[in-house]
Amino acid sequence: MRNQSDDVLLRMDGIVKCYGDLVANDNVDLHLNAGEILAVIGENGAGKTTLMKILYGLEQPESGTIWLKGEKIRVRDTAHAIANGIGMVQQHFMLFDPFTVTENIVYGKEPRRGLFFDIDGANRMVSDLSERYELPVNPVARIKGMPVGLRQRVEILKVLYQNAEIIIFDEPTAVLTPQEVNELLKTMRQLASNGKSIIIVTHKLNEVMGVADRVMVMRNGKLIADLPVRDTSIEELSFMMVGRRLIESAIPEIPPGKKVLEIENLCLNGTGSVPILDRVSLHVAANEIVGIAGVSGNGQFELVQTILGLIEADSGKIQVGGQDIFNHPVRSVRDSGVAMIPEDRFIWGSAAQAMVVETAIMGHYRKQEFSKKNFLQIKKIRSFASKIVKEFNVKADSILQKTGSLSGGNAQKLIVAREMTQQTPLLVACEPTRGIDIGAINFIHDRLIEKRSEGAAVLLVSSELSEILKLSDRIYVIYNGRINGEFLRGKVNEEELGLRMVGSIKNELQ
Amino acid sequence: MMSDANYLSVVFNSTIRMMTPILYVALGSALCNRVFIFNIGLEGTMLTGAFAAIVANYYTGSILVSLLAAMISAMLVSWVAGIFMVKFKGAMLVVGVSINMLMAGLTTFLMQTIFGVKGAYVSTDLVSLPKVDVSFLGRWPVLQTMFSSLTYLDLFAFVLAILLYFFLFKTVTGFHMRSVGINKTAATSLGINADRLQIGTIAFSGIGACLLTMGGVTMFAQNITAGRGFIAMAAATLGAAHPLGVVVGSGFFGFAQSMANMLQNSAISSQLTMALPYLATILALAIYNFTQHRR
Repeated sequence: MRNQSDDVLLRMDGIVKCYGDLVANDNVDLHLNAGEILAVIGENGAGKTTLMKILYGLEQPESGTIWLKGEKIRVRDTAHAIANGIGMVQQHFMLFDPFTVTENIVYGKEPRRGLFFDIDGANRMVSDLSERYELPVNPVARIKGMPVGLRQRVEILKVLYQNAEIIIFDEPTAVLTPQEVNELLKTMRQLASNGKSIIIVTHKLNEVMGVADRVMVMRNGKLIADLPVRDTSIEELSFMMVGRRLIESAIPEIPPGKKVLEIENLCLNGTGSVPILDRVSLHVAANEIVGIAGVSGNGQFELVQTILGLIEADSGKIQVGGQDIFNHPVRSVRDSGVAMIPEDRFIWGSAAQAMVVETAIMGHYRKQEFSKKNFLQIKKIRSFASKIVKEFNVKADSILQKTGSLSGGNAQKLIVAREMTQQTPLLVACEPTRGIDIGAINFIHDRLIEKRSEGAAVLLVSSELSEILKLSDRIYVIYNGRINGEFLRGKVNEEELGLRMVGSIKNELQ
Repeated sequence: MMSDANYLSVVFNSTIRMMTPILYVALGSALCNRVFIFNIGLEGTMLTGAFAAIVANYYTGSILVSLLAAMISAMLVSWVAGIFMVKFKGAMLVVGVSINMLMAGLTTFLMQTIFGVKGAYVSTDLVSLPKVDVSFLGRWPVLQTMFSSLTYLDLFAFVLAILLYFFLFKTVTGFHMRSVGINKTAATSLGINADRLQIGTIAFSGIGACLLTMGGVTMFAQNITAGRGFIAMAAATLGAAHPLGVVVGSGFFGFAQSMANMLQNSAISSQLTMALPYLATILALAIYNFTQHRR
């Protein structure tokens, strides 16, 4: 056991935070002991991130008090939080790409020599820190081009450099490979044994079970439960989180039909010395979900964009239903029967300023049911939008509200609804469940499976391995723009996929 | 042979004199670019500084007071622009254009009320900046020509570029400024007051925008800047917002300007030669963007 004590280091009492009518935190209490790892879990919108923002000074509560080491404090802003020994490893890394590791770590608390920034001294301090906590980094390397796991390590070192005693991790494993996740969990335990107190905000329950001492469950802004991890189970936690039992639907076995998407020797050279896509060949058949597993940045998104015609490839062949779509414009690709759920809902998937009803037909508004002689059929469009909003359980006040005012999960559901409702033989789904809560994830998974049962071909790109493993009938691993392995359902485990994703195992054929 | 060298030294001298007003403004513009502000209002700021200098000169006859008046007024205008851009999140282009139009109108109007003239005000009562004495270079006539009739402000422009280089790349404040330009959200979340840095930079960028009327010219005319604020922005872009690069960029435009002046005496129609600096701007930016795009 760790040198965990019952000394309460931090206490948050009766925190209330409202956004308009929404009560994000409803009288929430939290306490944290020294050397403890506390997991705060809950669905998206449960209020866990809000609570952490209050602790880190990014938001001010309506009421409630924060006690640190027995003293009442008010965290005015992040600088104040940092000064009080509270650090946060954010979900979206706050790093400056063109700067070096050292520059990023000492940021805001730079050592000086006279008038100048003492960069040599800073480098030495970072080396020391990196050795002390066994988190190896190269102080003078630039962030640009670094893998996500390493970036996160820089973030952790940054928090340690600021002398944080309480470290908050916000969804820390969302973007990591399984190996990186294990590494991170190990780091957390080590930090705790060094006397640091840790709060992890997550919705991944197996990680909670693996690393945390205690778990706090939040739902709809309220604290539902606070209990030691050893007294609970994944099933119990997920029930408390969602408020209902989740039924994992079995995936019916259907033999794949004829090939819908066929890609042969697709090459995309890009501007670097290494091609982005190197002789990629793959196919997806009707009644089949094919997963592409890979660490992001290995060409999977370029692959999708090439299929859609957003990027011009250099050579190769792409066919949908026997029809050539290689380097065709996006419109003709979509017309040939392709729907896509893009990786980023607000960059590619929707316009934040557009109304929900507009987002619901984006990309499909030329279809007969939505427009006649260049005039939009407003009534039909509205009834269609209302229908899919209801079917896909998108939480919106009105179909006339701005898409950007929906929560991330609901915007995602809206886009998924739009792309699935179009009866296309091929659906390309990129990170369809990124950053959304368990209930919604299950819902989207069920829709994808349904789509497959209806005879569609589904190409699934996801950095979430469990999602790939759960849904895919067949899996391709992509590494450095090459296909590095192909597996049928059940013929591969998470470890092997992980190793192939980082290129530790290479395809013998290449 | 001698006359060739002589000719070149005259061109060099005139380039320096033409480029320094641009250089001061371009350095300010480069700083703004570094904190991710596109301060198009520099043209108006420049006009403000030029006008304030002349007014102070007229009333006090003191170079120092004129200089201070120019710097303070230009800084105030810039600061207001900064507040609107950063605090109130106004569109940078709109705020900038407003500043330009406001100052063009205001200076013209005030010129009429204060000096009672239209179009331009020239007076022999105005004192001009003392020139750097280069008589010690008497033994080298070419050098003497190259550096004749320059003011200390002209020379200081180059010193300032070097100082700003050290400031931006070697000091903590400069480091924070660059970081705000790269990722303002991250900088804010790390406890940096990014808004204040941005507004401060915009205000500071105004200071340099005051020297136009102080050096060679002791007059004020309607729209005396003639787009040089915009040219300075182009010079900052060309110099990749690097203080030393900006020197090169400004030098290029200074050269274009001095060529335009020289060619006025030639057979080429003056309408064409006057257009030279502006054509050079367009051409240089087009080429620059093209090479950036290809990369």
